[in-house]
Amino acid sequence: MRRFLVIFTILLAGVLAATGSVLAQSKEPVKIGLSAAVSGGSAASGEAIKRGLQIAIDEINGKGGVLGGRKLELVIRDDEGNPQKGVTIARELVEREKVAAVFGGLHTTVALAQVPVWQELKVPYMGAWAAGTNITRNGQTPNYVFRVSANDDYVDRFLSRYAMDALKKGKPGLLLENTPWGQSNEAGLTKWFGEKGVKAVGVERFNWNDPDMSPQLLRLKNAGADLIVLVANAPEGAQVLRSKSKLGWDAAMISHWGISGGRFAELTGDLSDGVTFLQTYTFFGKQNERGQYVLKMLRDKYGVKEPGDVIAPVGTANAYDGMHLVAMAIDQAGSTDGTKVRDALENLKGEYKGLIKTYKRPFTAEQHDALTDEDYVMVVWKGGKIVPISMK
Amino acid sequence: MTGRLGWAALATAAAVIPFFTSNTYYLYVVISVGLLTIVTAGLNVLVGFTGQTSLGHAGLYAFGAYTAALCVTRAGTSEWIAIAVAVVITSMVGAAVAAAALRVSGPYLAMVTIAFGLIVEGVVIEWGSVTGGPGGIFNIPKPGLRTHYWTVMLAAALALWLTANLRRSAWGRACLAVKSSEVAAESLGLSAYYVRIAAFTVSAAFAGAAGALFTFLNGYISPDSFTLQTSILFLLALLFGGLGRIAGPVAGSVALTILPELLTRLLDYRLILYGSLLLLSIYWLPDGVVGAVSRARRSRPAPLELSLSPLGRGQGEGAGTLLVANGVNLSFGGVAALAGVALTVNRHHIHAVIGPNGAGKTSLLNVLSGFYALQAGTIMVDGRSIDGLSPYAIARHGIARTFQTAQVFGGLSVRDNVAVGVAGPRLGSPLSALFATPGGRARDAFIQSRALDLLEAFGLGELAHEPAESLAAGLRRKLEIARALATEPLLLMLDEPAAGLSPAEIAALDAQLTGLRDQGGPTVILVEHHMDLVMAVSDRITVLDYGRVIAEGAPEEIRQNPAVIEAYLGATT
Amino acid sequence: MYGLVALGYHITWATSRTMNFSQGHAVMVGAVVAYAVFVALGWPFPLALVVTLVALAGFGALVERVAVRPFFLRASPAWLLATIAVGIIAENVAQLTFGKDARAFPSPLMRKPIILGSAGFYPQELLVPVVGLLLMGLVQLFYHRTAYGKQLKAVAWNPEAAGLMGINIPRAVMASYALSALLAGVAGVLLAPLLNVSPQMGTIIGLKAFAVAIIGGLTSAPGIVLAGLGYGLVESFTAGYVSTRAREIVGFGLVILVLVVRPWGLLGEKPSRRV
Repeated sequence: MRRFLVIFTILLAGVLAATGSVLAQSKEPVKIGLSAAVSGGSAASGEAIKRGLQIAIDEINGKGGVLGGRKLELVIRDDEGNPQKGVTIARELVEREKVAAVFGGLHTTVALAQVPVWQELKVPYMGAWAAGTNITRNGQTPNYVFRVSANDDYVDRFLSRYAMDALKKGKPGLLLENTPWGQSNEAGLTKWFGEKGVKAVGVERFNWNDPDMSPQLLRLKNAGADLIVLVANAPEGAQVLRSKSKLGWDAAMISHWGISGGRFAELTGDLSDGVTFLQTYTFFGKQNERGQYVLKMLRDKYGVKEPGDVIAPVGTANAYDGMHLVAMAIDQAGSTDGTKVRDALENLKGEYKGLIKTYKRPFTAEQHDALTDEDYVMVVWKGGKIVPISMK
Repeated sequence: MTGRLGWAALATAAAVIPFFTSNTYYLYVVISVGLLTIVTAGLNVLVGFTGQTSLGHAGLYAFGAYTAALCVTRAGTSEWIAIAVAVVITSMVGAAVAAAALRVSGPYLAMVTIAFGLIVEGVVIEWGSVTGGPGGIFNIPKPGLRTHYWTVMLAAALALWLTANLRRSAWGRACLAVKSSEVAAESLGLSAYYVRIAAFTVSAAFAGAAGALFTFLNGYISPDSFTLQTSILFLLALLFGGLGRIAGPVAGSVALTILPELLTRLLDYRLILYGSLLLLSIYWLPDGVVGAVSRARRSRPAPLELSLSPLGRGQGEGAGTLLVANGVNLSFGGVAALAGVALTVNRHHIHAVIGPNGAGKTSLLNVLSGFYALQAGTIMVDGRSIDGLSPYAIARHGIARTFQTAQVFGGLSVRDNVAVGVAGPRLGSPLSALFATPGGRARDAFIQSRALDLLEAFGLGELAHEPAESLAAGLRRKLEIARALATEPLLLMLDEPAAGLSPAEIAALDAQLTGLRDQGGPTVILVEHHMDLVMAVSDRITVLDYGRVIAEGAPEEIRQNPAVIEAYLGATT
Repeated sequence: MYGLVALGYHITWATSRTMNFSQGHAVMVGAVVAYAVFVALGWPFPLALVVTLVALAGFGALVERVAVRPFFLRASPAWLLATIAVGIIAENVAQLTFGKDARAFPSPLMRKPIILGSAGFYPQELLVPVVGLLLMGLVQLFYHRTAYGKQLKAVAWNPEAAGLMGINIPRAVMASYALSALLAGVAGVLLAPLLNVSPQMGTIIGLKAFAVAIIGGLTSAPGIVLAGLGYGLVESFTAGYVSTRAREIVGFGLVILVLVVRPWGLLGEKPSRRV
């Protein structure tokens, strides 16, 4: 008992000491939080976001930081994709680290669980990946949740239009991962295909790390699907292609952005040729000024030799632009106060020539998604490279 | 006394934190500690007391959380009703799982519980119309963080108090007895299976309560919170804190909640450190962070006039035969250990069973007490058949036994060992044990005083509060006999009670056995090699050789029986 | 496919009544080491295979030394949790050294599928059960025909007697751990082209292999092989005809069902009660 008490006291003292040291700082760096999975099955997504943020932060700090000379500092926490952990981290980042804003990771469940915390503690949150529709459309006013990433609702409208208008396909079979992300897209795809009077001939799901998707594909094939709409990340997406090749089935396939990681080509070899999917941004092809800069930094800092080595490029791109927008908002607010930064985000003045696009007043009271289907691009894998498809 | 001070300090710390800081992060962390404490306190009853490992408690936690969430969102009940419903439903689920799972043990049990947890997770994900699927349920009405802080702290304190009560009750002793020696516990009339189911159910109720409180912490639940990793965390927290200690769950929960928080800055290396710390803690702190908790030191209670419920069997009055066994057969893989053995034992006799090594003496005891299934033949005790009954059921017919290697319950004091025997299957209601109701406490005091009386009679009174595993071999045998007598048996079967005893101790045993008979004590079947003792105390003797009865009669007849002499000579040369 | 990994549980259980709960992580380590020497360093495959097997045997011995031996005699779930802790560390180390992304493991048997009617398979998928069964046969031969194998069996049968006969029990237990990890490593190399290499690849395999080992009966190697086949069949049957989503639920439901009916596995032997 006595030994236990000693340990308890030491731990308590440690926690309190940590608070004290934080409180003592004032004209110190402005901290930006990141709550994402940097371990476990989705570790690559967290890594990608971290790179985007770090490159933007180094760039901003190189130009003198924010608020007249205060440097930005990135504080990363691993939420392990676990909502409870995510809530703990949210409170820790705000209450202990005193961050000015927090970026979020891949998991829709974590983002949803954190929404009430941002609202309660009045700190703006910038989604850099999770595309769940109701993260930003959460029914709260004032809403502290922003996003520079895809929104499944827009994605699904975009994909369904592409399927019907560009590909002229009318019998889509949905193949989704069995996660909140898949769930959110099932709703969106059903809604937007339904709008055009089309019903999916089948909806199939798979779990993470499943090695073989043949049964699901076979059922879609037997149901007469002429197009596969895929919602998957790279490893499972690769298994889908392998299984499809095993069945000797050559139906067309369009996909959400999850298979964008450069490794997808490595995992599938020439099977990936012709797979069409959506991106907010691609590092393949001709790059704008920012694109060249980010690629150069990725090479210098993280040893990325070519666009194909960029892991999870959308995470990096979204985070990079999001960070710049947040920095602008902090400067405009003239403070790191959460409410003021939030208000500034909704009323950003001036334009930001970003990586993904040029942002002019990206957020309003009603619109908390900076990117919509206007900004998405359709791309296709060809010989291990991503090639943009012109959309007309 | 230090123990009580520690608890007071802990309670004070928990009580002042909200006044000391407005930082919701700290409140949130302490609430998380509280929730983990509740689950691990329940798990402690199962793993620490009863010795069964579960890796599926996240499934039960999920049951509590989803039940509470559905109560509030679908049925519109209040938070309190939701928690109550969650506890009740999770307990029932726990009992059902236990009934299936506890037929197995060790890694098999681990697998069943893992499978249970994964199935719950799978169903929660797939049953979207009710559970919200992988996205979970959100916007659950929840109380403010501060209000919830008090609720969880009180619940955690309650959980610890309940487990402490349980540990001190007949139920707690029964759990530890089952953990320490299943066979000995069954020989005292306890059904190990039943005790384990009860323990599992209690732990399920705790997990359900914690799950419900978890729901009202975030107002959002999703399957990600209830994975196998969660189950592993529960077990780790318990092991880290100290298995079987009342304070173990607190220490483990504090450590396993706060440690990762302190490590969050070490991002990439965090899990390596976490794993290493766990490994080292298991290595260096075998009893967890909480070392030896001072044993409850209570003065000896005054004898109470109180009676336990009747044992529901005859009291063995009258003369004639008590036990009649006929045609008992037993073989192991074709080798006959017992072949057509017949045994008739008269009431209030000391009946010895002797024979060379491997003659089947112990096998016979094991058949009579139900540890080996009867393959052929009949056994009647006190006019009732006990064929095919399980050991604990036979024990409830009034048959007690000791073992060749004394099976005392480690982890229990000498007095508690006997108290397990006194109570036998009469454990009372688990609820009265958990809540330490006045009736339950009086009952317990009565059991303890009976146990002490017995120990005094056996000259073990001085050692009543020593841990049983610290006793020397001779004393262990004595304790085992006292424990067996505590069940007030009709028939006491002793398996080589004199083995390893000094001549003085054997003389004492001799006196004890004859004394027992002269005072109208139970009938005794004595398996023994020590011929002097056998010849001195026995009324009748049955001789076995190669699984057959070769002679039966009074001591002096046996001494002169040529078949017996040959068997012994044949065996020794 | 699960049988080979499951056999690893049997081997250590048979000698020591303990097992490496993170057997799945050994599969992952096998695949990662093979990737490092074969793909990253570009060594020829036979050499890479040898290096992998040696490394895995070493890993197994390490697990035994660090996470099992200290707790061998303690009747608590300590070794179980200790091996889980080792698994956590192994996964994290793999993440730091190998990276967090899944990588492809090239194999000539993965280029073209063989298509039969409406279904098809990659030659690699055929290789897995073939090599698996072959290895299981070899393990059985080792146990029944060689002196050292018999010694290991003796330890399982009666440690005290085996100790008296001069068998070095700690060494025997360590050997069984090395052998068990080695089998997992082979499984890792075989599965790498199919599953891709990533630090997480072993978790589910380990879990399902454990389920298979339990269904078959930890004490029975033939039982495990049978259970491995049966479990695979049930899985693909459920996935093919009922629903992919029901696969896990049905699979693990089956585990519970089997154990309720046969508490020691299909062919496992009931441990005799020591009275």
